[in-house]
Amino acid sequence: MIRASRVGLMHGAFALFALTLVARSAQVQLFQRDQWRTRARRQQVAASSIPAPRGMIVDASGALLVESRQLVKLSVAPREVGVDRRKPAAGSARLRALARELARAGVEPEWIVRATDTTRLWVTLKGRFLASDVTHLTATPGVHFEPVLERMPPSTDGLRRLIGHADDAGAPVDGMEKALDGLLRGEPGRAAILRDAKGVRFNSPTEGGSEPRPGSTVQLTINQTLQDIAERSLGDAVKQTGATGGDIVMLDPANGEVRAMASRRADPLALAATVLTEPYEPGSTLKPFIAARLLDLKRARTDEMVNTYNGKWELEGRKIEDDHPAAFFSLADVIRFSSNIGIVQFAQRFSPREQYELLRDLGFGVQSGLPYPAEESGRLPSPQRWDKQTPASLAMGYALNVTPLQLAAAYGAIANGGELLEPAIVKEIHGPDGTLSYRHTRRVVRRVMTAETALTVRALLRGVVEVGTAQAASLATFDVAGKTGTAKRTVHGHYVAGKYTASFVGLFPADRPQIVILVKLDNPSKSIYGGKSAAPVSKTVLLAAIAARDASLDRRGLAAVPMRTARASASLADGAASADSLVRVTDAGSLPYVYRLDAPKTQSATAVVTHEVPNVRGLPLRRAVYALHRAGFRVSLATFRSGGAGGTAQDSRGPGGATITTPPAGTVAAAGSVVRLAFAP
Amino acid sequence: MRGRTRFALALVGFVVVATGVIWRRSFGVVRAREQQRLEQQRGMLEAERAKLQRDIREASSRQKLERVAEDRLHMHLPISDSQVIFLKRPPKPRPNE
Repeated sequence: MIRASRVGLMHGAFALFALTLVARSAQVQLFQRDQWRTRARRQQVAASSIPAPRGMIVDASGALLVESRQLVKLSVAPREVGVDRRKPAAGSARLRALARELARAGVEPEWIVRATDTTRLWVTLKGRFLASDVTHLTATPGVHFEPVLERMPPSTDGLRRLIGHADDAGAPVDGMEKALDGLLRGEPGRAAILRDAKGVRFNSPTEGGSEPRPGSTVQLTINQTLQDIAERSLGDAVKQTGATGGDIVMLDPANGEVRAMASRRADPLALAATVLTEPYEPGSTLKPFIAARLLDLKRARTDEMVNTYNGKWELEGRKIEDDHPAAFFSLADVIRFSSNIGIVQFAQRFSPREQYELLRDLGFGVQSGLPYPAEESGRLPSPQRWDKQTPASLAMGYALNVTPLQLAAAYGAIANGGELLEPAIVKEIHGPDGTLSYRHTRRVVRRVMTAETALTVRALLRGVVEVGTAQAASLATFDVAGKTGTAKRTVHGHYVAGKYTASFVGLFPADRPQIVILVKLDNPSKSIYGGKSAAPVSKTVLLAAIAARDASLDRRGLAAVPMRTARASASLADGAASADSLVRVTDAGSLPYVYRLDAPKTQSATAVVTHEVPNVRGLPLRRAVYALHRAGFRVSLATFRSGGAGGTAQDSRGPGGATITTPPAGTVAAAGSVVRLAFAP
Repeated sequence: MRGRTRFALALVGFVVVATGVIWRRSFGVVRAREQQRLEQQRGMLEAERAKLQRDIREASSRQKLERVAEDRLHMHLPISDSQVIFLKRPPKPRPNE
């Protein structure tokens, strides 16, 4: 029998221990491998999300409007900096040094005091800092950095209103940032963060992660040059007219792309793009559409006359007045001189359903579909809610609300031959790798008038600028078409005396328009009329746009438009002779030169358009008025006693009638001027 | 070779291999820290570049240049007393003329 020696026992014990170790090791490393690996990873490796840079927003020409940049957020643990039990003096010195460095980095004094207050455990400083401005703090113990992405807002107020804002965490708050967040935000990446023995974190070189995918780049249809021009002109106009606010929107009628969108409000809390969010009663700017539909339905002709009762008329107990009183107006004159009485009479040829369909067809009462979260649809009551005054109110541009963009889009139909286009603000969207994922294409909502009618209405609107209420919008070189509006404003549902919206919608140039411009001023105090306050703003904007090299205008197309007046050409020739008058020469091709002309043009251009007063002697009164209107004159009626010519009438009495004109027949007078027509009652 | 020598060589080999593994790991960690520092520096420089580009854009923006042109050069935007006209550039004279 073998007796176990003590050595043998010890060997056996060691061998058993070794076997146990090996067995346990095998158990841990082979059978419990995944469990222990997971536990180890949990202790040493932390998953971290890497924020994705938001996509850029650029303008139509590719100029950068909005981007994200990396900043740092600073936090201070004052006790880590200033409490040193071994050397208290050293701690105080570090606090003083930290205060100096924070002041250098631009931290507000109040926050420096907090950051060096050792009774506090943790202070996160207000604001974000460029990393380069705080690099000298990196070695300071107790100062902690956290990289953050900050959205840099656009540089102008109008674009900030449209594009919107992001909060401190980079999340969109409003505007297009919010509407297009899904495209702009990208996909965050993942990283494995290792912790070393000292607790310092760093990205694992071996653990797999994923790079963040930046957001898409959104290209807007906005042209920054036009936007700047519009914003500056609007700011100046609000100041000069004493208005409480205003809007300008410009769009390309060929494709519906919005080129500029400026808003200004006295209220600093009104931060939205009010072109999209504040509908208003458009007033007389709606009249051309009434005329267009009547022409389409062949229920009126442009030279068809209606009685306008010398500017005062009562309908169903409601007094309607004209600012340019006349006895009779043709449809063309109703538009030209913005006659409320005339347009109401013409609109009576619609049934309520037809009038409602016209306004609905123009896109009023429904959102345009732009990616803007707070876009208003406006208000267009259905005929069931109309009272007996509503058709007349609608004809004059009251009893409905439209946004400036809706109205500009509707005028786009007049400009482009009759098609209502869907407005667009996004031109293209590119993925982070540059691939094109969206491109705006022209989208026709519906045809709202025939091409022939659109041409006719453009001619009517041209008359408004040439001899009508919008002469202040006239340019020497190009025909402009447009319509003014002066509408009473409501406060809490009631019209308030002295509160008006002055507006002008223009088409530039009148032939083959490239731009539709809408100018709206709220409560102008110096002149309430759209023709006096809003139309000049349109002229200023268009002049600046023509003078700019990169304002989205087809300059070759403009160069092909014939000069409007002989006087303009003559002025130009004079200017060409003087080297001093030459401001700039630009392109090499068709060559826009920019000149300053000394003479104001509006008066001279108006004087050029003259007509001969027709001989209406002996004609019945109605036919006499008709003939004078056809010749381009406004008519003022007066009576005289049968014993002789009254007033200053110089013409002789006709044998069969009693018509006398002042000035007399054959006189050359400015188109649009008033001819006094005297007759015996 | 005797058993002890073999054992010693094996032990030395193990130590060398283990040292290599540890060195490699330490080296990797140092490099990872360096990489992170460089990435932070890159982010910092890109942020600064974005700021400088924005400064350039603002300095060359229409709003800024308008003010400069008006204040220093006494230029002005076309307003109601002026008109902007496109001219046909006169043909260039031929060399022999």
